[in-house]
Amino acid sequence: MNVYITDGSECCFYTAVFSACTDRDCMITSSRTVQLAFDSTVIIVAPDENKCERVKGKLRRYAPRSLGDISLILRRGSAAKEQVALEYIRLIVQKKSPVGDMLAHPAVIAAREEKKKVTLEAHHFTGFLRFMEGEGGIFYAPFSPDNDILELILPHFLSRLPGQSFIIHDTARGKAALYNGKDCVIAQTDEKVSVALSDCELRFQSLWKEYYRSVNIASRPHEKQMKGYMPVRYWKFMPEKQ
Amino acid sequence: MIDAERLKILTESAKYDVSCSSSGSRRTNTKGGIGNASPAGICHSFTPDGRCISLLKILLSNRCAYNCLYCPNRAEADVPRASATPDEICELTVAFYKRNYIEGLFLSSAVEGSPDATMERLLDTVIKLRKIYRFNGYIHLKGIPQADRALISRAGLYVDRMSFNVELPSEKSLRLLAPQKSKEGVLAPMKQLALEKAAVKEERTKHRKIFLPAGQTTQLIVGASPEADGQILKLSQAMYRRFSLKRVYFSSYIPVVHHSLLPDKCAGLLREHRLYQADWLMRFYGFSAEEIAGENENLPEEYDPKCAWALRHMQFFPVEINRAPLEALLRVPGIGTLGAYKIIKARKFAVLDFGDLAKMRIVLKRAKHFITCNGKFYGSENIATVKNMLMLEEKGGKYEQLSMFSTPETSLSALTGQL
Repeated sequence: MNVYITDGSECCFYTAVFSACTDRDCMITSSRTVQLAFDSTVIIVAPDENKCERVKGKLRRYAPRSLGDISLILRRGSAAKEQVALEYIRLIVQKKSPVGDMLAHPAVIAAREEKKKVTLEAHHFTGFLRFMEGEGGIFYAPFSPDNDILELILPHFLSRLPGQSFIIHDTARGKAALYNGKDCVIAQTDEKVSVALSDCELRFQSLWKEYYRSVNIASRPHEKQMKGYMPVRYWKFMPEKQ
Repeated sequence: MIDAERLKILTESAKYDVSCSSSGSRRTNTKGGIGNASPAGICHSFTPDGRCISLLKILLSNRCAYNCLYCPNRAEADVPRASATPDEICELTVAFYKRNYIEGLFLSSAVEGSPDATMERLLDTVIKLRKIYRFNGYIHLKGIPQADRALISRAGLYVDRMSFNVELPSEKSLRLLAPQKSKEGVLAPMKQLALEKAAVKEERTKHRKIFLPAGQTTQLIVGASPEADGQILKLSQAMYRRFSLKRVYFSSYIPVVHHSLLPDKCAGLLREHRLYQADWLMRFYGFSAEEIAGENENLPEEYDPKCAWALRHMQFFPVEINRAPLEALLRVPGIGTLGAYKIIKARKFAVLDFGDLAKMRIVLKRAKHFITCNGKFYGSENIATVKNMLMLEEKGGKYEQLSMFSTPETSLSALTGQL
């Protein structure tokens, strides 16, 4: 079995697909901790613009929307994401048409599930992200999502808070979006950043905690439902849950 | 800035209002402003009672002139009273919004002084928030019944959603428990707003004004008065049709106040849940209120309203998954709107069997008794057995002492020893 190891970028993935698509017995992964089978041959893939464009061009011709789907699937934080995307591409190439509606096909079911997990988490974080006001009036929001969704939630906050400088920091992947009120860039960061808070920040945080306590109806406990909707792993950066 | 003590009082007085959604509006940000609305709505947090926090739910004041018996803020009640100024509310909303704690403001008030004076203060706050604080997030405003018409329709230009609470499902109960309110006083402004919204929609100008983009909702208290579920559903249906409401919320009664005219027990959460299920059937599944429950009937506790309907109409089943039209699929217990849509799409490419449905994550526990896949049927033919099976899974270990008046299903389960 051939195992194609990519560097995790989209271009590298499509380069691997170029040969893997017709390779019956193979697997693509960007994970460094994957367990190799006894008979596997490791192929380290270097990104190749030309091959990548050829694969993309073919997909654009058969199923224009699939490129967006695949880029979402590749944001997934699981080791199997490349394999799921590969199976999906194989089906498109085989059918020579969009396959998104073949909802009973295993490859389509898997692709839809992975995509859903990414978009759903992005939607959750439009709500669960918490900003704190730093000393210079810059708002700082750390979060550590399961999937690589920083770029997906960014437009939401840019259109919502256009006049405000802010930083959204993905601590799990060590990258942050920096916005100064005009331009926005994405930069690599350390895992931990210390932020000096402004004077009123703690006052508002305690008001928020007071609000959170008061709005709860104590005679109707339903903790299980709360945890179902708002998983415990997201609580780390929420002031009301400290 | 508002202090923690008053925030606590004003929030605790507002929390029993169940409306929480922030959906339905596409308000965009203005130049130099802050915020916008998200059409799907966003939940920002969840409290230990399992409800979501989407909006900052707060009263402007809880000093009330009315004496509605069921209400914790009624005039005679001995509770701490407080009020906030419009500026305090605006400042808090914007500060919370910037930190992404909330999606917007849910503003209500007790009737302090006259309805007109109260409505005016609410309107003041909302206009200040939009014009001075340049806030473009979601605002849900509670209307004060019997306030001046002009004030109410002016508010419609600034807020995303307005709601008047009907609270009690019949005029008789309203007269008994909330003597200062009247059915007309609540329904007239709802009708007026519905007509004005329709008129704005008809306008064909280039810059159409925005009027209540997220429509109206209302709330009914369940279990404080003796009305049956059938009557509540009929009332909801009439309001959906006449006032094009977006939602009717049901709030199962919690006895915060003790009074001889009120029940001493919580109306169970199960009844509220069944009503919501029935409400969904009316809004998304093409059922009418009369089909779900007769005028004086209550919804069955043992299984959901759709199951109950299907069991009464076994002549329509089983339906063939590969051929049935959407309307028929939607009436199968256990198949939801999403499931029906998935089936319709998937069957264009291949004949579906039970294995496919399971892979597509369509729950077959209930559905299998009512469908055939490619001619095959895996359910039970005997309606009594079906009833029993459906009940058993819903029940989850609820025992009861047999009596003369037990349902036939319970007696049967005692005979067979199945619990």
